[in-house]
Amino acid sequence: MIKPSSANQDCNFFDLAQQRNVIFYHMGYFSHTIITAMAEVVKLQLEISGINGPTRRKLFSSFVELSQNIIHYSSDLLQQAPDLRQGAVCISAEGERHLMLCANPIASHDVERLREKLEPLCHMSLDEIKQAYKVTLRAETPADSKGAGLGFLTMARDASAPLEFSFHPRADEPETTLFCLKATI
Amino acid sequence: MENFYIEATATSPEVDFRFEQNLLAMKGESYPENAAAFYTPIVQRLRDYLTTREDTAITANIALAYFNSSSTKMLFSIFDALDQAAQQGNRVEVNWYHDEEDETIFEFGEELKADFTAIIFNDHAVAS
Repeated sequence: MIKPSSANQDCNFFDLAQQRNVIFYHMGYFSHTIITAMAEVVKLQLEISGINGPTRRKLFSSFVELSQNIIHYSSDLLQQAPDLRQGAVCISAEGERHLMLCANPIASHDVERLREKLEPLCHMSLDEIKQAYKVTLRAETPADSKGAGLGFLTMARDASAPLEFSFHPRADEPETTLFCLKATI
Repeated sequence: MENFYIEATATSPEVDFRFEQNLLAMKGESYPENAAAFYTPIVQRLRDYLTTREDTAITANIALAYFNSSSTKMLFSIFDALDQAAQQGNRVEVNWYHDEEDETIFEFGEELKADFTAIIFNDHAVAS
């Protein structure tokens, strides 16, 4: 039997998600198979939310880039299945705009490297981002990249405002830092 | 030379290279788990085929509805191979299909057109 008090709390969670206009949320483990299944859900949710085609495509593109970042770079691997890595993604609507949030743990010693990649993107105009994208497209893939070194640029290009990011070192585990990234589309 | 065919999956395109007809086609979405692993054998087969051709009219129809950032570089390799074949005297024509509302894929096509000038590049905006 469901206890009335706990059912109430569960409803609060759904109410809150509704108030914040959450279109899609997943926190947990990511793999390619899980991303494939989620991609189907995300496409459907974006479509029934009545979002226009170009915005839908940009949100979907950012979703794929962020989720693939998690499977490539999250430092939280499931021990019994190292293909699974932990993180969270959330898509929500805020007025006319959409927010794409992602969080995943990374090794603290990677913080500076990541900051150096992201910081310049946050100060570039859209024209400068497109220019940087064109240059990177034709450049050799960086050795530390598991993709093409174009993921953040792709997100910055799709966003309608500069990317925002933050790092939160874990108090109980100093070698791990939570990385959060927000794209407004 | 035997034809080369890969069935589409949710995250990788259909690849249909009919070498004896000099007709190459790719269609679908592209965000495979590992783009380099998916595309390397495709680029290899394409290059093997292209070295056997001279003075040939080759057509490539490319209709990708979405591709992720790591697929973009691999597409550059495919175009690079086609462009080299065109420089060596083949007539290479690419039909680049995209949704009329999809600026990203249209602009990516413009980048390809700018870099690979030996290819006859036709942009096709398709009504959604």
